[in-house]
Amino acid sequence: MKHVIRNRLLTALVGALALAIGGMAQAEDTIKIAIVGPITGPVAQYGEMQMNGAKMAVEQINAKGGVNGKKLEAVLMDDVCEPKQAVAVANKVVNEGIGFVVGHLCSGSTQPASKIYDEEGILMITPAATNPDITKQGYKQVFRTIGTDDQQGPVAGNFIADRIKPKQMAILHDKQQYGQGIASEVKRTVEGKGIKVVLFEGINKGQTDFSALITKMKKEGVDFVYYGGYHPELGLILRQAREQGFDARFMGPEGVGNKDITAIAGPASEGLLVTLPADFTQDPANAALVKAFKDKNLDPSGPFVMPGYAAVQIIADTIAKTGSTDPKAVAEAMHQSSYKTPIGTVAFKDSGDLKEFQFIVFTWHADATKTPVQ
Amino acid sequence: MSTTFLGFIQQVINGLTLGSIYALIAIGYTMVYGIIGMINFAHGEIYMIGSYVGVLVLTALTLLGLQSVPLMLLLTLVVSILVTSAYGWTVERLAYRPLRGSPRLAPLISAIGMSIFLQNYVMLGQGARDISMQPLIAGGWRFGAEGGFQVYLSYMQVLIAVVTVIFMALLTLYISRSRMGRACRACAEDREMANLLGIDTDRVISLTFVLGAALAAVAGVLVGLYYGKINPFIGFVAGIKAFTAAVLGGIGSIPGAMLGGIVLGLTESFASAYLSTQYKDVVAFGLLVLVLLFRPTGLLGKPDVEKV
Repeated sequence: MKHVIRNRLLTALVGALALAIGGMAQAEDTIKIAIVGPITGPVAQYGEMQMNGAKMAVEQINAKGGVNGKKLEAVLMDDVCEPKQAVAVANKVVNEGIGFVVGHLCSGSTQPASKIYDEEGILMITPAATNPDITKQGYKQVFRTIGTDDQQGPVAGNFIADRIKPKQMAILHDKQQYGQGIASEVKRTVEGKGIKVVLFEGINKGQTDFSALITKMKKEGVDFVYYGGYHPELGLILRQAREQGFDARFMGPEGVGNKDITAIAGPASEGLLVTLPADFTQDPANAALVKAFKDKNLDPSGPFVMPGYAAVQIIADTIAKTGSTDPKAVAEAMHQSSYKTPIGTVAFKDSGDLKEFQFIVFTWHADATKTPVQ
Repeated sequence: MSTTFLGFIQQVINGLTLGSIYALIAIGYTMVYGIIGMINFAHGEIYMIGSYVGVLVLTALTLLGLQSVPLMLLLTLVVSILVTSAYGWTVERLAYRPLRGSPRLAPLISAIGMSIFLQNYVMLGQGARDISMQPLIAGGWRFGAEGGFQVYLSYMQVLIAVVTVIFMALLTLYISRSRMGRACRACAEDREMANLLGIDTDRVISLTFVLGAALAAVAGVLVGLYYGKINPFIGFVAGIKAFTAAVLGGIGSIPGAMLGGIVLGLTESFASAYLSTQYKDVVAFGLLVLVLLFRPTGLLGKPDVEKV
């Protein structure tokens, strides 16, 4: 009996190997691009934005015949926005021999993954991670198609100091690389302009009860709150603040600008201020693309949709131009070129950051829409 | 009254609300430990399932066009308790009973396996994302001078406290008065002896899992209503907190779990208020270490008598 089982196992193993080799042989005809972000977990909405954008680019490029006669193949991977998982995913990308990555999404998971990509000579473009440190590591093949927190923070900070002029301001963050990074940036900007920050505190990711914190802010007479982090926590803070009758105004970065904040906070999300990339769907040059999204019942308006599209397009354009699928050659060419993409005309600095990117302050409404603040 | 005093009162209210939830979940840990001397690591997941069932039932009732809030609440609690208890019973049946008499490590690992399974099962069935819900019961009372700091006591907070007290009282009555309750206490004292005296210990163990699950379901429904956002991962943190509450109060003791929950809730609230939110867990777990150093059996735990 034991022998039978062993033999069967062997057969299965050989079969699996044969399949794997078959898979590899097939892969030669396509150019694989790994699209990595949270597919599950509390911030999966953002992953969906990035992936919808990237997948749309892959489809449209393939519909036009692909790149140099080869089709692009999108390989979706899930890092749940957790640094540990991100490292596992990065290793999987390496093992599968993929040379190009669009992702990751959360700064906290992008940073450890970028180290692996750098060591293995893989080219990475993140359409969403905004923490400045990611492109300060001296890596030659790490890029982004989004702005950074040291651009976004001052936009928020200056807006608060010049337009709101709060008397007692509180700044909260979720102790993650992204949230704490941007919160510190805002703090530096407003304090430089003489605004008094009476409270600068971290909360826990996944925390649900904020009543004690809200009572404290109410007692201190706080009239304006900046939150660095993502929407699940801010949604609960807004809801509990309204319940306790704490009526300060709130502001957050693009990580909170998501329809789900309204689903959680309901009417308490009215009047929330959010810094977001400009609304690329309003650009007349993108009309055809916006229609393509709408035809497929996808929402093109999320902050990471167009940057995701642009990332894939830039990789494809550069491969077409250089005729090489070597990530190193592609990266070198990327530093030299400029591209016309749905997020505007794009060129990269030596660090891999965009030469230009604009953040705009929006007011969020209770029906999950947003309007730019004039 | 001064703002400082009113702020303090508000923090007490915040802490008691949070503590009630911890206490309800902690009872499941403490009862199982009291009888079989093991930690049920799948209990956090049972609470999460209770919360999901609650939200699903509420959504269904709203779709059916039910208007009366008390009726909706009652139906939701009943259905959630029934379904979640069935899960609790099944967990015992699958992960514990087949391993009765095996080394202690085996059921521990099977319970962790059960916890991972349940979390993924809900993720597959309901999606891995947050489910949110608008408040069913809004509003509350305000105390204090107009324009100054006002203490706010919401109807929901009162409801949480009242429901918790009712279920705690029911449980205490059941354990102290009923036949099965007496069997429970006998098993907690000496399971082997109780078995020899003709008590069906397997049934008693099933019952403790079911009772624990029922109270976790109540906590789950209340959390869904109060915070309005649940996801398949809430079981983990809540489980750790409730387990801490159970150990703090003295694991194995039911009044201990109630006290432990309230103490933990208040500690977190005060740490958040007077130190900093980022240190609230440090303070809460620091308190646990201190209590265990000076009272190794917890606040209300009885010292373990060596059975010869």
